[in-house]
This record gives sequence, C-alpha cells and structure tokens, in this order.
Amino acid sequence: MTQSNGHFDEMTGLLYLDGQLDAGHASDVEAHVRSCTACRELLHALETEGFWLREALTADEESIPARLIAAPETHAAHWGWWTALGLVGFGAYSIWTGFLQPGLAQASNDGFTQGNFLTVLFFTGTFWKGWDTMRTLMEVMAMGTLAFVGIWLLRRQWQRFTAIAFVMGALALALAIPQPVAAQHVQVQVQDVHTGNPVYTLAAGQEVKGDLRVLADRTQIDGEVDGDLIVGTQYLTVNGHVKGDILGFAQEVRVNGPVDGNVRLWCQAVTLNSTVAKNVMAYSQAIELDSKAKVGGSMTVGTQVAQLNGEVDGDVLAAGEVVDVNGSMGRDISIRAERLNIGPTAEVKGQAKYEGRREAEVSPGAKLASPIAFTYAKRGPNYRQSEYYYHRVWLWGASFLLALAIIFVAPGFFFDVTQACKRVGPAIGFGALFLFATPIAAIIVCLTIVGLSVGIPALLLYAIAVYAAKIFVGAWLGEKLLGASVGIGPAIARVALGLLILRAIGMIPFIGGLAGWVLVPMWGLGAIVLALHRRIAPHATAAVAAAA
Amino acid sequence: MDRQKTTGAMTDADLAQLLSQVRAGDNDAWGDLYRQYAPAIFRFCRRLLPAREDAEDATTEIFMKVRQKLGTYDSSRPFTAWLYKVASNHCWDTLRRRRIRQDLETGDLDTLPLEHPDPSQLERLQAEHTSKEVRTGLASLPDRARMALVLRYYADMSYEEIADTLGVRRAFVGVLLLRARHQLRDALAEGDPKFQRASAGGG
Repeated sequence: MTQSNGHFDEMTGLLYLDGQLDAGHASDVEAHVRSCTACRELLHALETEGFWLREALTADEESIPARLIAAPETHAAHWGWWTALGLVGFGAYSIWTGFLQPGLAQASNDGFTQGNFLTVLFFTGTFWKGWDTMRTLMEVMAMGTLAFVGIWLLRRQWQRFTAIAFVMGALALALAIPQPVAAQHVQVQVQDVHTGNPVYTLAAGQEVKGDLRVLADRTQIDGEVDGDLIVGTQYLTVNGHVKGDILGFAQEVRVNGPVDGNVRLWCQAVTLNSTVAKNVMAYSQAIELDSKAKVGGSMTVGTQVAQLNGEVDGDVLAAGEVVDVNGSMGRDISIRAERLNIGPTAEVKGQAKYEGRREAEVSPGAKLASPIAFTYAKRGPNYRQSEYYYHRVWLWGASFLLALAIIFVAPGFFFDVTQACKRVGPAIGFGALFLFATPIAAIIVCLTIVGLSVGIPALLLYAIAVYAAKIFVGAWLGEKLLGASVGIGPAIARVALGLLILRAIGMIPFIGGLAGWVLVPMWGLGAIVLALHRRIAPHATAAVAAAA
Repeated sequence: MDRQKTTGAMTDADLAQLLSQVRAGDNDAWGDLYRQYAPAIFRFCRRLLPAREDAEDATTEIFMKVRQKLGTYDSSRPFTAWLYKVASNHCWDTLRRRRIRQDLETGDLDTLPLEHPDPSQLERLQAEHTSKEVRTGLASLPDRARMALVLRYYADMSYEEIADTLGVRRAFVGVLLLRARHQLRDALAEGDPKFQRASAGGG
C-alpha cells in the first residue's frame, strides 16, 4: 500500500483512520507520518473530510413531516375504532329513521306506490333499460368497484410502478366495457342520440321508436316519442306526444303536448299546458300549471313562485316563496312557503296543510273540503324545541363523517392541515384572502365559456374546503384539550370533541354566527392553503433544480 | 462514534424499560419509542431515498417492521445499531427493487487513483460547500456509494455491519467508502473549474 515515492496511499490513510489496519501496518503508518509532512497533511484532510461528511449528513434542517408524528399501528382494534364504528352505526340508523323512511313514505304518498323509491327510479322508471342491459350495468359496476378496491389496496406498490399501473388501469377499463353491450347500444340508439347540434327538431309526423336523448341548445319536439325523452338543453318545447317519461335539465321548458308517463325536471322556468298522465316532479325557479293542464298523479315542486291553475288528481307537495292555487286539487295539499294564495276558482278535495310566515289568503269563492291547517314558521332558532338540538346533532354528525372520511382516505393531509392550524396568524390571514378572493376569481373565470370548466370545479372545491374548514379547526381544538396522543384513534376522538365544541359555540347568538360563518372557515381554509403550499412547494423547487 | 445522538436524554435503563413495555404491548410506550427515534430514521431515509414521500413511507414501514421484529432484538447489543440495521436493510431493499442503473458489483483498488490527493484543495472543497450542497451531491451518487457513506457517517456503522448490509466482503468496504468519497468530491467540484481534479491532485 506504499507508493514508489515512499508515501502511503489514500486507501491506507482511510483504513488507518477507521482502525482497519492490523497492528504492524498501523505502526508503520504512524512512524512514517511523524517524519512526513505531506502524509500528515493528507491524514488530517481525510479526517476532516470524515467530520465534514458526518456533520453534513446529520444536520437537522428538515422538520419531520406531520403525518409521521403519529406512530404506525399494527395492533387490531383500538378503542377509537370501536367508537368510530359505533358513531357511524348510529349515524346510519339516524339517517335511515330520520331521513330515508319519512322520505320514502312521502314518495309513496306522492304516487310512487309500486315499491320503494329506488325500485321505482331504476326498475320501472326512466332508468330501466331491460334485464340484459341492467345485468351488464351491474357487472360493470361490480368490476368498477373491484378495480377501485384493488387500486386502493395496491396504491402504495403502484406508486412505484406508474407505468404498470397505467397499463393495468387501461386494461381494466377495456374489460369493464363489455363489447356486446357497447355494440348493442350503438345499434339501437345511434339514430336517437343527438349531441353537439345547436338546434334539434323532431318534426311533426316523425316518430322515434324507443328513447330519445338530446343534448342541444334548443330542442323542439313536434313529432312522437315512443319511449322516454331525456334532454339536456337550454330551451325545450314539447308540442308532440311523449309516450314515456320526460327527464330534463334545461333553462326553460314548455310542455304543450300530452305525456303518458312522468315529468321530472330541473330547470329555471316550467310551463305545463297539457295532460301528464302520471306524476310531475320539478325543481325550478318558476312553475306554472296552466288552467288547461291536467296531472294524473301527484305533483311535487320546489320553486320560488308556483302557480297551480290546472287540475291535479293526486297529492300536491310544494315548497317555495309564493304559491298560488287556482285549480282543482284532487287530494291533500301540503305547502311550505312564505305566502299562500287560494284563488276564487280553487278547489281542494283533501286536507290542506300550510306552514308559512303569514296566514293564507283564501278567496271567498274557493272550495275547501276542510279549513287550512296553518303552522307559523318562526324565523331563527327555537331554543326550546328539542328538534333544534336534534338538528344540531345531525349537523355535527355530518361534519364528523366527513372528518372520518378525510382521516381514513388522506391521513397525511389531515395531520398536515391540523398542524398548519397551529400557525394561527398566517392561517387566518391566508384564509381571509382565499375566502373572499376565490369566489370572485372563480366567477370572473366563469364569464368565459372555456372558463366554465375551470370555474365551476373551483367553486365546488371551494365550497367543500369551506365546509371542511371546521374539521381541521376542530382537530386543533381537540388537540389543545386532549393533548397530542399518537395514532388514529385519539385523532378521531380529538376531532369529535373539537367539532362538538364548535357546534356548541355556534349555538350562542351572534358570536356563534360570527365564529361559525367567518372565523372558523377563514382559519381552516387558510390552514388548508398552507398545507397544500407546503406539499407543492418542495416539488416545485426540485423541478426547478432539475431543469437548471 | 456517537450513537447516543438519537436517544437524547434517555438513559440505557430508561430505554430498556421502554422496550420491555413495548414488548408487553403497551401502546403509550410504543408511541414514546416512536417519537424518540422516528425523526432520526426519517432523516436517515431522506438521505438514502430519492423523494421525500419515499422517505415518509419508508419510515412508517420501518417502524411497522421494528414492532413486528422487536422480539428478535438482542438486548445485549445497542438498540440504535439494531434499529439502523433494520432501517438500512429496508432502504437497501427498496433501492435494489427499483434500481434502474446498476452499480458495478465488483471493484478493487485498481479503479482508484493511488496517488495523494492535494490536501489543500480537499480542505478548500470542504470549506466552500454547505451541508445542503453536500446532501445534494450525495443524492447524485450511485445507490451503493450513497448507501456506504450514509451507513458510515450517519448511522455510525462499523465496516462489518456495512459489509453485512450491502452484501459485500468486509475488505471491500474501505474501497466502497473511498470511491464514494471520490465520487462526492467530483460531484461537488463539477461545474467549478477551480476544483477540477481536486479529488486526485498530485501529492
């Protein structure tokens, strides 16, 4: 290991410094170093390099990520899981008894008598497309679910093999679209699907066998549709005969021709001038049932202004600001509105229930089977009513469920945002900026057609983030009170408690509103922004460094 | 060798008690142990693996392994040595599984310059580069070279332990370390003309 010039080499120096030379070799080196300045300097430089490396490697400049603050858990069920499971079970039971059962009862009352709501919707209603298609739909859904579960389980491995994941994903997608079904759809419906055309007209005398689906700016149906009419359009005018249902998403709808099935609409203004054999369900700003119109089934409307001048054979359920009734209502009516006017030509053959801010104005000529059962709708919270507290518990449950979802789906993000909440000043500052600037920016972007595709998702995400804000502030509050125990179980307990306290604060008049609607959304939103920035920023810096 | 750096104020007796509590299934003790060592293990992984997210994942996985394998730990040996052994095996497996470019699996002294490097240039190289630049340079090294430096200078492993982890002969560890130092010097000197050949200047 000694060079021809008498000096020892670098390898020998390193091994000597690391104590890896045998005694004989080591004493040779020591003896040489005593007399040789060059080798002494080399040894010194190597030794310093060792210290320098150690110092550079152990430097503690990067903080440990928030998600690593919690220890990974390998043991089975923690008490927190059982609590969460119990709460979820309770929540599901409450949803069933509080929402779904009354809803189903209402639906059945409104004429969906053939079974439960889903059965009606899928198996006998608009969405039913025959057993073959439905079976393949179920297969597709099952495969989709399996693929989702598979991807979820393998996600960590697949991060490593993005290309493989991509190919497998494409393969799964290809398999998930069974060929025969795709072909069958194309054959049957190709002539009845209309998209991209600004104006679609089905001329008088023309007939469409089967369903008709249209996506167009203006849609006019003067001919006959043998099946259902499914439309997404701005203006829809139906003068012809529709033998199935009408399902529409539109701005303005006029139905002048007869409909043998149901009419279900989401739009801005609806005018019904003809006979609808079954039920009408409409969510629209203005709804007019003309005096010539007749609805064979029930009528369910959510609206601002409703004018019911025609004839309805079934029940009427209406929620809105102003409801005018001038026609003949065959069964019970239930109205929830600011104002209800019963005109001189009106007739109500069943019971009339009305909940509103002022008593109904009933014209002397109106024929009512029984007096109107009026309930005064009080504005603002009614602290004496148990329903008020029940509702608070509901709201708490909803935010807690979202918190659980975030904790399980994105624990790293959850812990990061909760950490970011600790930086109170910057979080509230950024939050204030984003709380007000985001909707303004999104609306400006929405003004252009192309911007819609950016603006609407941005607004949706914004709404979700504002709603989720309380979860992170709640988690922060919980941590203040319960301490930062390790693991997901305690984290769930902290969120539960924090959200409960925020709910309680929200019940205080004035202060509650200020905290719940301004401070907490600002704070949480700011924390989300900070955490996202922290996540994105290091990648951006790395990308710049790589490009340089 | 300063293996106590990660244990902070904890004495050997405290650690032994903590370990026995963890073995007995005490979750709080496990949390304490985790908090004590997770930052050091995270930084260790951060030096070895290319992305921060990889280091985060690896830290979690290493501690899962630690908890499962704690029964096999021989308490007469230092705990940190065992911990780093588990961590380095995990990281080395991870790197090997995803390695695209293969390092030279064998090598000997012939591939190293045998003459003296210039000590003054070496010192200037050290003086003019920050810890961060060193870590950036380290990240550009081949996996095995980087691994060798981190095991030696971060985890304070002996030549035997390094040889065992990397699956090489003990006599080859010195070569690996010296070659890694040269590669790091070259990486740092690259683009900086006054340091060109700093790693192999005449002596």
